[in-house]
Amino acid sequence: MGIISLEQTNRLYWLGRYSERVYTTIRLYSKCYDDMIDDIGENYSDFCMMLEIPNIYKDKDDFNQRYGFDETDPNSILSNLMRAYDNAIVLREEIGSETLSYIQLAIYAINKAKISRAPLLELQNVQDNILAFWGIADDFIESETIRNIIRTGKRVERIDLYARLKIGARELKSELCRMHVRLAGSGMPYNQNCLDFLNDAIGQMDVTETVDYGSIVRNIESLVKI
Amino acid sequence: MYEMDLLDNTENVNRLLARYGVKFGIYKNNTFKEQLFPFDAIPRVIRREEFDYLEKGLKQRVVALNLFLDDIYHGKKIVKDRVIPEDFIFASSGYMPECESVTPVKKIYSHISGIDLVKGKNEKWYILEDNLRVPSGASYPMIARELCRRSSPKTFRDNPLEDNRNYAQLLRRTLDNVNVGGHTVILTPGRYNAAYFEHSYLAEKTGSHLVNGSELIVENDKLYYVDYKGKRERVGAVYRRISDEYLDPMHFNPESVIGIPHIFDVYRKGNIALLNAPGNGIADDKGIYYFVPKMIRYYLGEEPVLSNAPTYLPFYEEDMAYVLAHFDELVLKDVAEAGGYGVVFGSNMTTQQKADFIALLKKEPRRFIAQEVIDFQDLDIQDNDTVVARKADLRAFVLMAQEPYVWKSGLTRFSRNPDSFIVNSSQGGGFKDTWVLSH
Repeated sequence: MGIISLEQTNRLYWLGRYSERVYTTIRLYSKCYDDMIDDIGENYSDFCMMLEIPNIYKDKDDFNQRYGFDETDPNSILSNLMRAYDNAIVLREEIGSETLSYIQLAIYAINKAKISRAPLLELQNVQDNILAFWGIADDFIESETIRNIIRTGKRVERIDLYARLKIGARELKSELCRMHVRLAGSGMPYNQNCLDFLNDAIGQMDVTETVDYGSIVRNIESLVKI
Repeated sequence: MYEMDLLDNTENVNRLLARYGVKFGIYKNNTFKEQLFPFDAIPRVIRREEFDYLEKGLKQRVVALNLFLDDIYHGKKIVKDRVIPEDFIFASSGYMPECESVTPVKKIYSHISGIDLVKGKNEKWYILEDNLRVPSGASYPMIARELCRRSSPKTFRDNPLEDNRNYAQLLRRTLDNVNVGGHTVILTPGRYNAAYFEHSYLAEKTGSHLVNGSELIVENDKLYYVDYKGKRERVGAVYRRISDEYLDPMHFNPESVIGIPHIFDVYRKGNIALLNAPGNGIADDKGIYYFVPKMIRYYLGEEPVLSNAPTYLPFYEEDMAYVLAHFDELVLKDVAEAGGYGVVFGSNMTTQQKADFIALLKKEPRRFIAQEVIDFQDLDIQDNDTVVARKADLRAFVLMAQEPYVWKSGLTRFSRNPDSFIVNSSQGGGFKDTWVLSH
């Protein structure tokens, strides 16, 4: 079709970001949930601190339920999945019904997880559907630009989360490298200063002892100008 | 015909419909909710010769309605010749003075017409309503057929059916026929519209851009789609799924934020095709419906193939007398309402309600029509493990490109309430596939 409006670009970008946020936070949540089965401390406090979200939870059970599945909590996994859906639902003609259906299936799965006594089982289905969504997006979406916009969103979000989690140089470098290719092909305007900073900061991570993760977060957040 | 493998797969079909988000939006207590559109796997079956008869009547009706629209916004011969009283034209909310002397591309006004019919217990089909503005519903049987075939290939091997999955191609041909050069777009009011699924699905299947008003601009009497780099590309056809009054705030409702300023100027100059044409509301006004058989005789010199439901206009003294004398046997419809709203059955009113309604009817006789309650056929639907009978109608779609074409399918809607004649999705109804037998 060859022409994408500003609003669609914005929605494609945020579809990429929210779908990644759901995927990665489920991984973190699952680890945290598992630790709390053995009562290894109140791990959810550290979790909230790492992600810089307010710790509004009364105890670990409250965290398990609300962080996972409370639609009124804007930071919950369910809320983030609904934001991915809000963006996807208005992009049917760009991404296709088949691609969109995996976001819909992820919603059905998370709603099952919400009422399950073993939510991690259903959350695995949410992750599977997100993975299928990315796979089919790459396979079915004809426009390379659209694929690149979604993937740029995904990589930006992953770098953002990895920086917040203070994940090591190898992973961040790999993500930055993959983002470069997508950003260039997306055609979206971006802030060159931010990109230069990210290249320097992440590029030198293995030769310096002090890494300013906060600056990486700020610069990745300001990178894309839409 | 009912020995169908498909019926054992209803659950699979509904699961797939949910997967693909086949929904409609509804506002309840000021809150928007998306609901799955309940699907019943027992199809409505239309025999080949029955469809041929419907096809002939539907084409005739839509051709006459197009001629009527052209006449009303130009010479008004039908009024001058006293076939239709002018009160029914100029007092109608569907008449748009802004469309006077405006001729759409190729003189096509109603490109996509949704004609609602019911089949009486006497086996006769009756037209209930013409929808010439933004008729919706074709996407539902289209995707349902696709998913039914996936769930039960045997059913479709065993039954000789017309394939209805060509609707997108037919629609594309209709859009291309009037495109004046440039992109084809589907203009939606947005995600919170009841028919948003349909807008997005048809955009996907026709290869059109789905846009909202903010993505289009008018410059130098031409319409452009603006991309994210600010580049403008010409638009040649707009399949608009928003009402006339919201289309252009400079000409119609100034408070509209979903329209495109000055798009009507572009249309008036012939630099864009709008599907359907603005001003069509005059032809699907419930009061004008009464005159459609007269239009067919007047413009085409033919007898109508399909009948209207027997209708009375309280505007005429004689009809008013009949309506008052037979009030309990009639259904009364407010001509300004749609979607199953503004419909009341005389027999269901209390004495006080009746008195109040009659007072209103006498005060505003032009506002209402009265119709005989047609005892239309029930269709079987599945209800858990049993089969029950429910009221159902059929929306047939007529697409006007070079020639009118009747889609060999349609949207069959049914009431889920055993006591109701109202089949609209907004009122809790469901839908079925409509099979037209190929021989």
